[in-house]
Amino acid sequence: MDPMIILTTMFILMVQEGSILLIATLGEIFTERSGILNLGVEGLMCFGALSSFIVYYLTGNWVIATLAAAFAGLMLSLIHAFVSITLKVNQTVSGLAITILGLGLSSFIGRPLALSRVRIEPLESIRIPVLSEIPVIGPSFFNQNPLVYFSYVMVIILWFILYKTSFGLNLRSVGENPSMADSLGINVFLTRYIATLVGGALCGVSGALLILGYYPSWYDGITAGRGWIAVALVIFSSWNPLYAFFGAYFFGLVGTLNATFQSIGFRMIPTDFFRTLPYLLTIVVLVIFSSTRFRRRKMPASLGKPYTREL
Amino acid sequence: MSVEKSRRSFLRDAAFALGGVAVGAGLGYVAAGGGRAPVTQTVTKTTTQAAERKVVAGFVYVGPVSDYGWTHAHDAGRAYAKKVCPWLETKIVESVEEAKVQGAIETLIGQGANIIFTTSFGFMEGTAEAAQKHPDLYFAHCSGYKSGAAGNAPQNLSAYFAEFYQLYYLNGLAAGAVTETGVLGYVGAIPIPEVIRHINAFVLGAKESAKARGKNIKVYVQWLNAWFDPEGANKAATSLVENNNADVLAFTEDTPTVLQVAESYQKKGKRVWSFSHYSDMSKEGPNAHLTGQIVNWGPIYVDFVTQVYARSWRSVDIWARVGDYMAYKWANLQNPKVEYDGAVYLAPLNPVIPENVRALIALRWQQMKEMLFEPFTGPIKDMDGNVRLKDGERATHDILWNMDWHVEGVQTPLPK
Repeated sequence: MDPMIILTTMFILMVQEGSILLIATLGEIFTERSGILNLGVEGLMCFGALSSFIVYYLTGNWVIATLAAAFAGLMLSLIHAFVSITLKVNQTVSGLAITILGLGLSSFIGRPLALSRVRIEPLESIRIPVLSEIPVIGPSFFNQNPLVYFSYVMVIILWFILYKTSFGLNLRSVGENPSMADSLGINVFLTRYIATLVGGALCGVSGALLILGYYPSWYDGITAGRGWIAVALVIFSSWNPLYAFFGAYFFGLVGTLNATFQSIGFRMIPTDFFRTLPYLLTIVVLVIFSSTRFRRRKMPASLGKPYTREL
Repeated sequence: MSVEKSRRSFLRDAAFALGGVAVGAGLGYVAAGGGRAPVTQTVTKTTTQAAERKVVAGFVYVGPVSDYGWTHAHDAGRAYAKKVCPWLETKIVESVEEAKVQGAIETLIGQGANIIFTTSFGFMEGTAEAAQKHPDLYFAHCSGYKSGAAGNAPQNLSAYFAEFYQLYYLNGLAAGAVTETGVLGYVGAIPIPEVIRHINAFVLGAKESAKARGKNIKVYVQWLNAWFDPEGANKAATSLVENNNADVLAFTEDTPTVLQVAESYQKKGKRVWSFSHYSDMSKEGPNAHLTGQIVNWGPIYVDFVTQVYARSWRSVDIWARVGDYMAYKWANLQNPKVEYDGAVYLAPLNPVIPENVRALIALRWQQMKEMLFEPFTGPIKDMDGNVRLKDGERATHDILWNMDWHVEGVQTPLPK
């Protein structure tokens, strides 16, 4: 067995899974930076996946299908935005409601598709010249479908917006101290609305990558808990899009260990362990990163707190 | 006077007689009419009763009907039974957690169900308890071992299951005929005797058809430790192709992912094949789909609800295999065209399978139907070289049911 082949396979699978997680994580980072906690990622992804699946099936155009997924995520997160920003309801409750709504709505709308076994052609990979010749990294990172390339680009774009533009500065300040930001003339409500809607749209696109890229038919439970891992990855990556890139692929890599170890015949650790590993890791990450010292330094100070203007 | 008197008496007598006739006729008419009326009523009542006599079947599903295998297939069986039996009404409860089966059963009983089907192994204890509690109702549990027939549950509980290992043997014949690398991959859900039996039967089939081509067969197994895990199945299938050089992928798990992976390789110009599982998935892999195992729960459900309808219930323990629930069981030598039907049958065969192997598959199918052929017939050695079945020895139900060893040709040892 050629170790290079095994390593390359591992990386290809890592990029597939990691990119799905990455887009959702980026979306959630953008939302949480404005102080809005959206636990509806799983529901948004699922609804996005279904929307893109239907549109791709009808039009055969992946760009329109991806836009449909973004729109679906946007519309669903609009509910969260209205409830948590305008009505100032508890964001955890609202987010969980979005997850349940998204999953339920997808299951309901998608039922005829699941029963009639509709299938689409998955997106084809585009080989990037020169870069795809690099061993291991080339075939895994630079021979993927366009939505994976979109995820790389989004890392840079979101990092640039958050850290290099005045809108990003406003957004971050709204997440840290909304009353201060308000007193400086920043429209807190509008900023939070934009952040929530853009974040929701990205979660929808993550669902589109999942279904258009790798799992080209619709059935219930297709997102399989990835939304929750994305929520944990936000904390893991300290609300920074650049760290999210490494975090997502790290989790993607952990997810390939089961298959890889079985390939090489490494049998010391039972396969059950690998199934639980991403979730175990999630808990460990949450415990470590939720220590008060870390929270004070990294977490948006007003995360999850509704803002009421004092008159 | 006498004449007059006699005339008068005659008139009186005549009048009485007339009156008597009239009254008699009237009474007779009434009596006749009255007699007929209840008869008609009885007849009408009987026919209406027959038309109104319904069987209400309740189904408790472990997943949603829009899943991609297990529950979907059961619901298709339910729909089939409903179509075949006009007197049947069906109710379903989906996505029931295993601990909550009794609540679901009570809900269905509240809706008037007189026979309940529960379709997950984990529902067994709850179903047995409900059967105890409702001796006037009927229960059938799928994939377990408790039934009145087996003697470990009340008589109003039956057990049923559809067995695939014979079809996996036929899949193996197809795989051995098309593989170029001689390496086959298998994605297994959970290492239990059912799945191990499937893998072994698949390997035996592949060895039979590959031997004719002078090829050796190696089979690598990847375990998911889950029935539903599309992500794990994708990784397992990809690893088998990339790392082990497998070009036929079989699987026992509840998603179409492995076939989708094979199809995406076909799209890239690499010839990788896979199969259907539970229902016809050929749409999922227009190029990569070789054949596969399909279950039709329909005839089994028709059997059970008919027993309730005809009041002929008898507790049974059904292990439906090739040849069971078929209209025509014996090989038809005049018309050798094989129609794969019954409770378990074979998915359409890909034309890439050579003609002689298609004929071999048809032959083995006919032989298994008539119990003339058993895939697990000795000499069979396990992967460590120990003789498990002596020359000519056929595997018994218990050997099949408790299988915890891999046949020769499997490269991956079973997880401890």
